[in-house]
Amino acid sequence: MTVDEVLRVRRLVKRYPGSAAPAVNGLDFAVHPGECFGLLGPNGAGKTTAISVICTLLRPTSGSVEVCGIDAQRDPVAVRRVIGLAPQDVALYTSLTARENLEYFGRLCGLSGRTLRSRIEECLALVGLEDTSEKRVSAFSGGMRRRANLAAAILHAPRVLLLDEPTVGIDAQSRNLILDNLRALRAAGMTLVYTTHYMEEAAQLCDRIAIIDQGSLVASGDPRALVGRVDGCANLEDLFLRLTGTRLRD
Amino acid sequence: MEASPAMRTICATMRKEMIELRRNRAGLLVLLVMPMALVLVVSLVQDNVMRATGESSIPVLFVDQDRGSLGASVARALRASRGIDLIEAVGGEPLTEAAARRLVAHGEYPFLMLIAPGTSEALRARAERDAAALFEPARDEPGPDRPAAQAVAGLTLFFDPAIQGSLHAAVEQALLRAAAAAEARERGTAVVRLLARRLAVLGGPAFPAGPRLDLEPGDRLPPESDTILGLAQETAGPWPSRQRPTPAQQNVPAWTLFGMFFIVVPLSGTIIRERETGTFRRLMTLPVSPAGLLAGKLGAYVLVCLAQFVLMSGVGWLGLPWFGTSGLVVPPTQWPAAAVVALAAALAATGYGIMVGALARRHEQASMFGAVSVVIAAALGGIMVPAYVMPPAMQAIGAWSPLAWGLTAFQDIFVRGRGVGSVAPAVSMLAGFFVATMTVAAWSLRRWRSAE
Repeated sequence: MTVDEVLRVRRLVKRYPGSAAPAVNGLDFAVHPGECFGLLGPNGAGKTTAISVICTLLRPTSGSVEVCGIDAQRDPVAVRRVIGLAPQDVALYTSLTARENLEYFGRLCGLSGRTLRSRIEECLALVGLEDTSEKRVSAFSGGMRRRANLAAAILHAPRVLLLDEPTVGIDAQSRNLILDNLRALRAAGMTLVYTTHYMEEAAQLCDRIAIIDQGSLVASGDPRALVGRVDGCANLEDLFLRLTGTRLRD
Repeated sequence: MEASPAMRTICATMRKEMIELRRNRAGLLVLLVMPMALVLVVSLVQDNVMRATGESSIPVLFVDQDRGSLGASVARALRASRGIDLIEAVGGEPLTEAAARRLVAHGEYPFLMLIAPGTSEALRARAERDAAALFEPARDEPGPDRPAAQAVAGLTLFFDPAIQGSLHAAVEQALLRAAAAAEARERGTAVVRLLARRLAVLGGPAFPAGPRLDLEPGDRLPPESDTILGLAQETAGPWPSRQRPTPAQQNVPAWTLFGMFFIVVPLSGTIIRERETGTFRRLMTLPVSPAGLLAGKLGAYVLVCLAQFVLMSGVGWLGLPWFGTSGLVVPPTQWPAAAVVALAAALAATGYGIMVGALARRHEQASMFGAVSVVIAAALGGIMVPAYVMPPAMQAIGAWSPLAWGLTAFQDIFVRGRGVGSVAPAVSMLAGFFVATMTVAAWSLRRWRSAE
């Protein structure tokens, strides 16, 4: 891992027990500090599995993951200190308020006292929930839940933020706000690793992308350069369909 | 001073669980109000039932130190009585008084019938004296050198105070019937023997005025209440003879245990919800130990179980007398032992809840399985029906129910008046159950984590 890499994935293979094919098959990529890296692929391509291995939820079958120079297999707890995860599900306690959720997750991340309180205020303000922080999450709309989910992921100011489809199923306003938030975080120096099905979103936000299919890397690089390299591709979605096909992936 | 990361994790998780619990009103209702209602209703109902009813098949230890005709006669009569299982040897060894008393005191058998040495001889002597008085009343008049006849002591019923009143009454009546039959036989024999002697010398100097055989009732026959054999009763606990513990002594701990184990429903629900909502996934990516998260959850729910115990004891102590029935009476010296058992039971119940939550795939599975398994374990453990009236196979299965261990320990304290030392085996079993359930839960949660 070089000094200009904050995340390095090497020949990563993950095969689930009883599964015929590996979910991730020889994935290889690096992410630089402060960049937004998009991990794109159709359903079942292996995006969530790759994120799960990177965030130490799963152990790889082979290959390695290094985050900020820390081997994820050797020292998963140290990796967890420098990453934040906004999972695909809204991973919050719905019977708690947004603030109570943030207090709980903040304490688990080692924050306390004034630091915790000020970080909660900052995160709530960033995602536009400062006025509804005392409402229970069960009373939140889908967009509010997604924003609270993001706030919980960035509370401890992680160096690498892993986002697993953070804008799925929400209204345009909330999506716009989340994308603005992500730009602000990137501008503040946070590295983002981002999975999405929305190609337009990826084209707007990501400095570089990796398109994966059936667990393997299909293409990677600057999204505009990748589109320009293939004749007849007007945008990233065209390129994506060209590379992964139009067959339904259910 | 800064708290350690582990302690911070535990405290934060406990606090979060408490907030969730406070907001889960239906769950709290199940945990706190339902067991209290059960204590009130079941105690009030059993207060009457226990006084009013029933015959049941009961094992009675039988130690005949007399080895005379009385023991054989009582044993015959009891064996003829349906529903009494007379036991003279345990484990192939003939019973001694000390061993039999120990078995009853430990709650392994509910009754001991003891016949003291010399009882047959005393009965015979008294029957002969009464028979002689029929013919020569002057000889039976009490005087300075001849005290009034007393009942013959020698029959003792030693019983476990945890036994239900109806069953105690049934056994007592069967024993009194058997004693009355033996007494009638001895009286008849004495009269016949005396008659035979007198008739043998009929007309001789022994009958100067001729034999008197006019045995009209109310003349010289002893009154119906004048029985020769007395039945002494002793309890194995701290209760005075014939006084028995109130239904509350038995019902409060029994239904408290039942309520504690019902924590499986809300507790397993929170664990499954964490998996379903993805919070489990988020928690597993935070720099905390899973053991700390589990300990926080455990701490919160153990506190709820202990609150149940305090509330239920309060209802037994103050609530039941308010409804006109006897309340829970526990000497202050017994409370430390009760607290130890309550803590062990709370750990076992919470461990079970965490295990069910870790093993079940869906909330419906956990709530159905959890609730039904607790009801079954309660039934097998003697919460609803005393274990000693169950068939032997059910008793053998029930002996593995953690509710049976908890109930035995609570009865040792509340009913048999025993101390911390006596409940150590049951507390160890509950602690072992807790360790086993937490081990299975940890294994299962690791499995869920790798399946995410």
